[in-house]
Amino acid sequence: MKPVVHIVDDDESYRTATARLLSAYGFAVEVYESGDEFLARLPGCEPGCVLLDLQMPGRSGLQVQHQLSELAPLLPIVFLTGQGDIKAGVDAMKAGAQDFLEKPSSGAVLMETIQRSLAQYERRRTEYERRQQMRTLVAGFSAREAEVFGLVVRGHLNKQIAYALGISERTVKVHRHQVMEKLGARSLAEAVSIAADIGLDHGQIRRVSQSDGSPSP
Amino acid sequence: MALGKGEGRLQYAGLLLAPLFLTASVVFAASQTTPPPLDRPPRVLILYPYDERIAATTAAGEALRGRLLEATSGKIDLFSEFLDLSRFPEAEHVQRLGRYMAEKYAIRRPDVVVALGKESASFISTNRASIAPDAKIVAAGFGNSTSENIDLPDDMIGAFTTFDILKTAEMARGLQPGARHLYIIGGSSEFDQGWLATARADLAEFSRSYETTYLENLTIEQFIERAAEVPTDSIILALTVFKDQAGRNFIPREAIGKIAATASAPVYGPYQTYINYGVVGGNTVTFETLGQTVGNLVLDAIAGRPIKDIQAPQTYIVDARQLKRWGLAEKNLPAGTIQMYREKGLWEGHWLAVTGAFGVVLVQAGVIAALLLERRRRKDAESRSRLHLLEAVHLNQSATAGALSSSVAHELNQPLSAIRNNAEAASVLLQNDSPDLQLIHQILLDIQADDQRAGDIIGRMRGLLKKRSEIDWQEFDLNDVTSNAISIIHGEAERRGITLKTKQPTTELPVRADKVHVQQVVLNLATNAMDAMTEAGSDSRILTLATGVVKEKAELCVADTGNGIPQERLSSIFEPFYTTKQAGTGLGLSIARAIVETYGGTISATNRPEGGAIFRVALPLARGGERHS
Repeated sequence: MKPVVHIVDDDESYRTATARLLSAYGFAVEVYESGDEFLARLPGCEPGCVLLDLQMPGRSGLQVQHQLSELAPLLPIVFLTGQGDIKAGVDAMKAGAQDFLEKPSSGAVLMETIQRSLAQYERRRTEYERRQQMRTLVAGFSAREAEVFGLVVRGHLNKQIAYALGISERTVKVHRHQVMEKLGARSLAEAVSIAADIGLDHGQIRRVSQSDGSPSP
Repeated sequence: MALGKGEGRLQYAGLLLAPLFLTASVVFAASQTTPPPLDRPPRVLILYPYDERIAATTAAGEALRGRLLEATSGKIDLFSEFLDLSRFPEAEHVQRLGRYMAEKYAIRRPDVVVALGKESASFISTNRASIAPDAKIVAAGFGNSTSENIDLPDDMIGAFTTFDILKTAEMARGLQPGARHLYIIGGSSEFDQGWLATARADLAEFSRSYETTYLENLTIEQFIERAAEVPTDSIILALTVFKDQAGRNFIPREAIGKIAATASAPVYGPYQTYINYGVVGGNTVTFETLGQTVGNLVLDAIAGRPIKDIQAPQTYIVDARQLKRWGLAEKNLPAGTIQMYREKGLWEGHWLAVTGAFGVVLVQAGVIAALLLERRRRKDAESRSRLHLLEAVHLNQSATAGALSSSVAHELNQPLSAIRNNAEAASVLLQNDSPDLQLIHQILLDIQADDQRAGDIIGRMRGLLKKRSEIDWQEFDLNDVTSNAISIIHGEAERRGITLKTKQPTTELPVRADKVHVQQVVLNLATNAMDAMTEAGSDSRILTLATGVVKEKAELCVADTGNGIPQERLSSIFEPFYTTKQAGTGLGLSIARAIVETYGGTISATNRPEGGAIFRVALPLARGGERHS
């Protein structure tokens, strides 16, 4: 699946010219004349990256970025901006923009920026997919296994876990082994890292430990 | 004409000065001590014996004032007091005047007092201690050295200007080389007798060449009779007749006038006042000369220079009508003689009409000159103020351009970026084995269009910075200028998250003005409106520019959705330097008003009931437009 460069700019002339240039370099390109149009067509969008004009009538670039952070968090955003608009640039970067492109910019800079963004997208997607995989694994734990996993990654000793759950230390060791097997983790550190990655926080652990048998979301 | 007028004045002065100049002398009197040099402008008090309408004393006084002002470059304080002693000769009046002036000049004591005429001299010699205790006193008047005896204190030094009867006689001899007889007329008063004695002495030598007769101790009727009987080859010299043998009092010029009217030979006299009373002329001192002379004396007194007797220079003066009457030749006059009534025919016969006509012409000329001057001044003022307006508008244009520069730069970036990307795309496409020529062609067309767009932006910007040295009047559609202004600010509006709305009629709105100026008005109002909406929520920032015809005028409305204008400020927002903005100069609206009013329009501001302000500009529709619609 080829990544797509989405160009969101109200200036038709710039939009068309940039699309032509990127097409000539072999990219797949989609153009949108406003942030609203882009957001409306987002569900059917091929992934890739977004070139987003900062100054647009209607929904501004920053507002679109805010929406995208919820709707398509993986999509890297490259802001297109006029010269010297430092404040808007800083705001955008704080809000998680991937990069900046000053108009006018040479094709080489444009290309390099887009390559970097797409690479970023690839990294993000790989990471995301790995995380999703881990979440699936964790979701596949039995209730007891989940309880043991939650306590293990918080650094509890087997003896403490056995006491906390009211089971024997030997049973704890069996569950712990099962958990490590399912995650494919070779060490406690790896298991802790996975827990951090998928965002398993204390609340979740407590919820996990309180619930009985139902898989975590 | 001008000469005639001058003569008239002299003539009038002469009539009135008779009592003065026949009885007074030029007397110079000064206190013996020399005061220290002054560290302020010197003060000179001029005393006039009569009221301010007596031209004789006024003429001498004016000449004196002129001389003093000229010599000191105006650094002198001149005071005038009109004693009015001819109408109020009573002792009470004199005492009252003395007290009044003593009090009045207590804070500004004069350094020099000039007393014109004998009455003034007497007044100041009595009151000098209370009015001007330390002042030097110059008494000025006409007199005769031997007959005049002014009663002045001993510590004053007198200096007289003499009337030289011999010079008058010599002038007569020059005019009448063939004369054989000489008659000298004098009255019976003490003064007249004194004069006769002087003349006898002065003319002792001169009279030997003539058969000389002194006409004295006669009644006025006898004088007239004798003068009418003299041989035609006679010279008649008239001294003064204050009183005749019968004891009747006369104003001398009138007595002499009666005598001269029927005299069978020319009559000469040494007084300016005799002119116009049938006398040919004589050698005399004019009021102007007197004023000048006294002025010099005063200047010496102020400077503390030693002062001594002085003689006012004498002049020959003749009546041109009398020269003609007696067939006397102008060429026989002494050099420098002043001829009066030269245009006597017209003047004598129609002096009233001439004076009237001259007056009317003068008044008309004055009015015309004043109007021309006024017109010129107004034009100058107008062109100056227009120039100031043009300067102000240009500053305003520059300020607007500066404020819009970042959005304009952004706007310019769009076509430039597009051109760059298009060009690069085309060059990449051309590297293909089978390039898509149709696409490349389209790319080139787009590049052209973008280049045009960039050019337009720069053109508008240049229009915004265009400096005018003159108003460039032209007829144009207000809609066009509004659209142009909108294209200048739309980038800025976008940057600030403001929605721009426009309402334009389909018909043209022709107005006559300078396009750039009207555009500046639109820009001022629009940027003002945008500034007013800084605090409004971004969803409700709407700037509306609407044009239309209201009450047969082209109207432009600029409405915003800001907070509106506080009621108490509605009246002052068009004042210069009135601003509510941190960075505002307070000139935008006042310049807008100045521009609109220059083109005969009006501008007003109101608040909208739903919030925000609305500015209305109304400009007269150009005639062409009325025909259109």
